Amino acid sequence: MKWSNVKLIFSREMRDQMRDRRTLFTVAVLPLILYPLMGMAMLQVSQFMREHPTDIWIVGAENLPESPALVVDGEINSKFANEKDQRLMQLVASQEDDREFKSLIQSFKENSKAHGSHLIDQLLDQQMASRNVDLAVVIPSVINSPRVVGADNGQREPPKIYIFHNSAKDKSKIAAQRFSDVIAAWQKTFVTDVLHENNVPQTLIRGVDVTNTDVADKAGVSAAMWSKILPFIVMIWSLTGAFYPAIDLCAGEKERGTFETLLSSPAQRSEIAIGKLMTVISFSMATALLNLLSMAVTGLFVYSRLTGGMEGLSMGPPPVSAILWLVIALIPISGLFSAVALAAAAFARSSKEGQYYLVPLMMISMPLMMIPMLPAAKLDLGTSLIPVSGLMLLLRGLIEGQYEQSLQFFAPVCGVTLVCCWLSVRWVIYQFNSETVLFRASERFGVGAWVKQIASQRSELPSVGNALLCCIMILVLSFFVSFSLGGVPDSFMSFAKVSIAQLVTTVLVPALFMAVMLSKNPWKSLRLNPCSVPIACAAVIMAICFHPLFMVFRELVMVVYPLTGDMTGFESAFENIMAGAPGVWAILLVMAILPAVIEELAFRGFILSGLESLKNKWQAIAIASLFFGLSHSIIQQSVITGVVGIILGIIAVQTRSILPCILYHATHNSLTVLLSQAQSHHVDGSPFLSRILQSPEDVGYEYNIVATVVMGVLAIGLLFWLIKFPPAEKAKKSEGPVAKDLETLGHQTAEA
Amino acid sequence: MIHVRKLRKSYQDLQSGAFTALDGISFDAMPGQVYGLLGPNGAGKTTALRILSTVLRPTSGTAIINGFDVNESPEKIRHQIGFVSTNTAIYDRMTAWELVQYFGRLYGMDDDNLQIRMEHLFERFQMNDIRNVLGSKMSTGMKQKVSIARAIIHDPPVLIFDEATSGLDILVAREVLRTVEQLADQGKCVIFSSHIMTEVRRLCHRIAIMSHGRILAEGSIEDISQEFRENDIEELFYQIISKHEQEQQRSVLSG
Repeated sequence: MKWSNVKLIFSREMRDQMRDRRTLFTVAVLPLILYPLMGMAMLQVSQFMREHPTDIWIVGAENLPESPALVVDGEINSKFANEKDQRLMQLVASQEDDREFKSLIQSFKENSKAHGSHLIDQLLDQQMASRNVDLAVVIPSVINSPRVVGADNGQREPPKIYIFHNSAKDKSKIAAQRFSDVIAAWQKTFVTDVLHENNVPQTLIRGVDVTNTDVADKAGVSAAMWSKILPFIVMIWSLTGAFYPAIDLCAGEKERGTFETLLSSPAQRSEIAIGKLMTVISFSMATALLNLLSMAVTGLFVYSRLTGGMEGLSMGPPPVSAILWLVIALIPISGLFSAVALAAAAFARSSKEGQYYLVPLMMISMPLMMIPMLPAAKLDLGTSLIPVSGLMLLLRGLIEGQYEQSLQFFAPVCGVTLVCCWLSVRWVIYQFNSETVLFRASERFGVGAWVKQIASQRSELPSVGNALLCCIMILVLSFFVSFSLGGVPDSFMSFAKVSIAQLVTTVLVPALFMAVMLSKNPWKSLRLNPCSVPIACAAVIMAICFHPLFMVFRELVMVVYPLTGDMTGFESAFENIMAGAPGVWAILLVMAILPAVIEELAFRGFILSGLESLKNKWQAIAIASLFFGLSHSIIQQSVITGVVGIILGIIAVQTRSILPCILYHATHNSLTVLLSQAQSHHVDGSPFLSRILQSPEDVGYEYNIVATVVMGVLAIGLLFWLIKFPPAEKAKKSEGPVAKDLETLGHQTAEA
Repeated sequence: MIHVRKLRKSYQDLQSGAFTALDGISFDAMPGQVYGLLGPNGAGKTTALRILSTVLRPTSGTAIINGFDVNESPEKIRHQIGFVSTNTAIYDRMTAWELVQYFGRLYGMDDDNLQIRMEHLFERFQMNDIRNVLGSKMSTGMKQKVSIARAIIHDPPVLIFDEATSGLDILVAREVLRTVEQLADQGKCVIFSSHIMTEVRRLCHRIAIMSHGRILAEGSIEDISQEFRENDIEELFYQIISKHEQEQQRSVLSG
């Protein structure tokens, strides 16, 4: 790669984008005007919310006591509301001769329990609407003065005041909020007066004085708030800022016809991709920074106006360290989003088509950005390994000043982020090297023609598209079937039925159906080739030797992603179900052998055969393993099976048969089942088992360290032997020239 | 200079399945020659030229350009060619001067040589008035002039013109044709695709008539005319293409 070309392309694209009014508007002008405008609108709305007077209709005001007086001269008593609130609560005088009013009071007097009934609510709603009031306060019976109430010594039921509001109307909600503050203050005075009349000390009704103190300093509160807002703003704007230039630089260039000019120049595709990527990153960072700056300044101004004068709600500016961390984090964030946006934009034929890709990209990114906003989200090894979310949580910790805890997970977060950046850059370069992406014709998709094409042009083995379609079908079917099957089964037999039905419908049927429909040679597509006895034995030995290592890996996964309370409960229910099995053979059949056969047919059979068309066996194995992991619904299981899938993939590719894979898979599953079922009399009775197993806390068995190391070394050795000396190649070589000629002849005959 | 052998290119199409755009074409073009590729729309001309300019990779077959194979040394070939087509637009937000300079630098020219060459080309194509005009403000003729200047800034031995006069007014089209003639006179090997027969008769030393990804007739215009006993090139083109179409229909009907 010539960096002089990259620099040249980068400077041209930068200049080009700087001359584009639309880009400049989105990147620079919009953030500078958008937030002040939004702030202004917010201030006006809040002003409306605060300043708009509300009408309160008091029904039966004459029933209120003279002291403490709630209403004085047709206004709320100034003792219970400040001057502004007093002005904003306009009391509507009730008419003594109003028939409806009288009937309303009457209905309350006759049956106070009627309050809350549908008819009274309806009547009040109608009355409020016809009188154009926001709140109705009904005092159905006379409320005696504190002196009289005090004399009763609390013998009688306390009088009632009913407040009616309409939560569907904002003005009514505001009126209710204002009036409830007033009535609470009035009630407190009333009770104080009653106590005073009875010579009861005020402290008697308080019981215990509870003091709630916020020990956070002002800067800490401010940092905690900023730490939630700022990373989100940075992420969302770096994605948006990347997307529009990416569309213009790829889809826009295709549309204008300048892309072909560039492709015929001596600049390599990778140089073009990197040059454009650097431009998109620059714009992504600039957009995020300008938005951040504009939002922070406007937000501070608006917030200070909104909360001015209210104690405890003042907010300081974001700490300088927060800005610093955000700027540092912005580089990988923008890198990642820019690469993803550029790769997506390279696929689009036109700017219009490119814009359609923004929504799915947002839909994928948003959950990753929202996870860290959840109150329970915290940075640990598990969350640090989630792309984007881990970085956001790390940023949150750093902004809040929790350096010690955050730096513990600095390495995994950086590692994951850099791997994601690297993968996305590779994707961009791949897109720029792919003719089908760059010169995608405007193909009209017709279902009929497509089906006809599938039927008429089936090839020997499935294509990559067929394989991916099968993966997606398995995932979608698993999702719906797992929901339709309901909760935990109550017996082993029902568990067995559900498991087998689920495996057959969601994994076996799609794989077999697609192998028959989409390939000429379903047998070969499912990799049902024979394998020699030594290879079969080697697969079983490898499974046995790898098992201790996988148990260690399983423990590690459980530490990183511990089981939730629900899952632990499920585990104990599962143990009870297993206890009801007719024998270990039944458990092995349902949990080890059948899943091994079915999953291998699908994942190492049809799917891996299709993915091998990628011409890169490692890519094929990685993708098949990823989907194999995803097909297991629990995250811990997905991680473990994903790694097992890599070994199974290597075995399948190197031996060209799924039979050793089935043997490996079945052995692996069986050993896991047997280890969980192992009892002391089994282990103690076998000299071999007692040498390799231990029970540290007398709860279940695990492999001891010596067995783990020795068997692990043997397993890795076997795997390397398989990679280095693939039996499939040997078989091909041993076929010799005659076999090759026959194969060629076969192809020629087929073509003829 | 250009040796094309059994060049084949096929695509996958969602609607029609596998589609062969080029079906094993072969031809040779020499320095100082203008080699014409003729054919109706969809004949495979643009695909062939895109492969020669290394924008696309062939499915099979090869093309050797100035000693370099398109499959093995596409980067080296890009230094040997200049590519102008109806699709090779110019950047809207770049001036004529900036655009030619940009490509000169991509071709690895040093600043002094680039400056001299640019002054020469801007003078030759009378583009000094539009030096600082942005692409979006240029007329179609101006754009094509800039496009040609861009393609020959590094003085390549091979030039590829893909329907370079389509959509141009007669004055600009004539200027483009004159430029092609001059380039051939300078010893450049020019591949010129068109479906305007008068242009082909005026410019091309040899032609290949293409349809459905195949070459149906190849040689000098005189030789092909004699073979088909037809002097009018437009009529000649029509006869060859329609005869091929009929043969195709017959083979489809006979299964």
